[in-house]
Amino acid sequence: MIPMGTEGVNASDGSTPAAGMPSYDGKAEHDESRTNLSPRVTASLMDLEAWAEILATYGRTMRVAVALTDPQGHLLGECHNKQPLWSLVRETKSPWGAGCPFCISTYPSCASVKEALQSGKTMMARDMAGLTHVAVPLVLGGQPLGAIIAGQVFDRYPEPLLVRHVAKAFGVSAQQLWDVARKQRPVSSSVLQASGDLLCALGHAFLEQRYGKILEAKLSASNGRFRLLVEGVKDHALFTIDSTGYVNSWNYGAERLLDCVEAEIIGRHFCCMFTADSMLNLVPEKHLQRALQAGLAEYEGWCVTGTQKQFWANVSITPLLEDPRSGRGFAIIIQDVTQRRKIAVALEAARQERTRLQENFLSHVSHELRTPLTAIYFFTTNVLDGLLGDLTPRQREHLTFALDNVKQLRNMVSDLLDITRVATHKLTLEPQLVSPVKLVADVLSTCRTNAAARNISLRSIAAPSLPFVWADPARVRQILINLIDNGIKFTPNSGVITVEARLLAGDGGFVCVSVSDTGCGISPENCEIVFDRLAQVKSVAETSRSGLGLGLFISRELVSRHGGRIWVESQLGHGSTFYFTIPVFSLAKLCAPVFAAPTFKEGLVSLIAVDMVTIAGTAREGILLEIHRVLERCIHAGQDVVLPPMTDVGPVETFFVLASADASGSAVIATRISRELKSFDNAAKLNLEVSSTTIPVAPGHSREDQIKEVTVRVEQLIQSHFSAKKRLK
Amino acid sequence: MSGKTILIVDDDQYLQLGLTARLKSNGYRAISAGDGATAIALARSESPDLIILDLGLPAGDGFLFLERVKGLADVGATPVIVLSARDPAGNKKRALDAGALAFFQKPPDNYEFLAAIRLALGETIALSTFLKT
Repeated sequence: MIPMGTEGVNASDGSTPAAGMPSYDGKAEHDESRTNLSPRVTASLMDLEAWAEILATYGRTMRVAVALTDPQGHLLGECHNKQPLWSLVRETKSPWGAGCPFCISTYPSCASVKEALQSGKTMMARDMAGLTHVAVPLVLGGQPLGAIIAGQVFDRYPEPLLVRHVAKAFGVSAQQLWDVARKQRPVSSSVLQASGDLLCALGHAFLEQRYGKILEAKLSASNGRFRLLVEGVKDHALFTIDSTGYVNSWNYGAERLLDCVEAEIIGRHFCCMFTADSMLNLVPEKHLQRALQAGLAEYEGWCVTGTQKQFWANVSITPLLEDPRSGRGFAIIIQDVTQRRKIAVALEAARQERTRLQENFLSHVSHELRTPLTAIYFFTTNVLDGLLGDLTPRQREHLTFALDNVKQLRNMVSDLLDITRVATHKLTLEPQLVSPVKLVADVLSTCRTNAAARNISLRSIAAPSLPFVWADPARVRQILINLIDNGIKFTPNSGVITVEARLLAGDGGFVCVSVSDTGCGISPENCEIVFDRLAQVKSVAETSRSGLGLGLFISRELVSRHGGRIWVESQLGHGSTFYFTIPVFSLAKLCAPVFAAPTFKEGLVSLIAVDMVTIAGTAREGILLEIHRVLERCIHAGQDVVLPPMTDVGPVETFFVLASADASGSAVIATRISRELKSFDNAAKLNLEVSSTTIPVAPGHSREDQIKEVTVRVEQLIQSHFSAKKRLK
Repeated sequence: MSGKTILIVDDDQYLQLGLTARLKSNGYRAISAGDGATAIALARSESPDLIILDLGLPAGDGFLFLERVKGLADVGATPVIVLSARDPAGNKKRALDAGALAFFQKPPDNYEFLAAIRLALGETIALSTFLKT
């Protein structure tokens, strides 16, 4: 017994395969596209009919039996050029199912096919009887397809002992077997191995060729289908351009949509489809660039047809990066959406018209309501103030009720106007430098009467050191009064309302004002909606009259226009707290022109203060506006700055001018201011005083530091200016 | 009682009536006109010390009146306070730019309104005593 088993070709007789002999383990030509061959492709590659001729020829020429197997080593189809001994044993005696199809003994068990596929090399195997074969792996793109086995021959003169052994095992006459074996021509293992290598090369060349044919057939089929698809699209222009923008393909849809036949457009630059305007603005180039960066660019814009008609188009551009023939290029799809745009434009126009009508109507209503309201107000107050004689306490009480309702009506009319402004984005602010402390104190004194009537105590917490905010005082007052009035409305008698102003925790850039009440509170789901337009909490609305429900909505708009945020925290039965934030005034932002002036870097800046007596009443605003205008005339615009009026900040009215000037320069400006203001109507009564201080800009410091130092100094000067005036007063 | 004359230009007779009573009780003489042309004639003949002007007037609005009156040598210097039902947004700046001293939206607060009148008449500057007490 010579158990030889299966061995690699190399090991079997010490010879090595020729240098450069391909190894078909799939690593050498690993190709992404081949790793996943579909079952259909695999079946087609292993098509028995296709292989029949090559295998039959090979078997005849090499005088060996040859056959195809699947990757598990099972025979596929017939065996070509069967050898006599093998035929006698395997075909006359019932063959066993499993095991190597070319061995006639099961011992040692032969796994030559599996091993060949595993190693990617041709494997040689000899069975107990001395019959030898080679297994050639068939691998494509790393995927095992099966194997070719060739052999059924003795690699040396057969040994009678072994033949007798086999005859006994298979129940065949030993003499008959020996006669057959004796006549079989042995093939030496080295020849068998060389023919195995040849078979390997042959097999793979055949596989490659067959695979190429399959691919080609598939490609031409899909090309044809794709072509039909593209050609058939009528409503979309589909075309391609090369990387420089020249058109190189054109479908029927493009012909229809862009009014231009293929022959005319091929080779022309695709910018002829754009309007002159978009070409000036480099629209096509920008979109190609965007498509390259993002992989897709989609936009809507005007396109021009070959007959110079314009249409509104939806354009989508995809870069073609992997076309080996034309290099980089783009696929472009254009769709005519003029109709859709027309509808959208018409809808928008209708919406705007409706808004305009609504606004006109509301502002008309508000205007018309104000006229009779004014007459009622005048007559009521005339009587109340005793202009027509004394009143009894009951008459006075009833008239006071009437006046309260007039005021309520007036607020509603104002809200109506505000709401139309919100809808038309006309809610404008006139921000100023405002002290939040003073603002809170002012509002509280306004609301005190209302609160006292319900025996509700009104408290305020506000550190005097709070920074100024940049806000429209009238609007912040409106927000605060609205919140406090709401609090009063929903708080039972003898409750408490607390107004607090502090720096927003974690962000010194905002002042946070809160209004807390001890009222009924708001449920979590209502906390979400109280700021919505016309939102009113149902159960509450029934308990008292609560206006139009616009107050919080308007407040939210006003706060957001200021750049702040408004929200509410509440627990049913435990009162509510409304918060809103307002940005802190930034001197640095306002003084930017001074800091940008060429003289700033190493020179001096001056702070000029213009003081005058406090002006009371509403005419004040007009006068301050006038003075502000005079000051603007006196400065060098673009390099000096008139700081905004410091409303409610100091005990006196003071205007500050920050000038890019040294002492003598600021003296010139100060003189000019004094002279100009002298011609002002009430100049003598205004008691004007102009003073100035110079601030050095430290040379050598970084620009940021210089700006910081100067703003800090300006702030200090303004503060100390006011405290000095306060002491004088 | 200063006895100064104030011209009310407003087409609403109720407003004329109500405001006149208020002004009289503060010691002023009040005269009224319902349209711009009448108002100009009245201003020239009576030489009021102050004009209270509505913007919505028949036959030529308040702005036209302001422009006309400011162009007149004899009454052009008369201070004007606007009292209008119109939206202050836009109208206020326009009125002040056209030479009005102050803008009040209807209905005004009596005390603030009277304070502005006194200021316009040069009777006082610091009217803090009138401020919300």
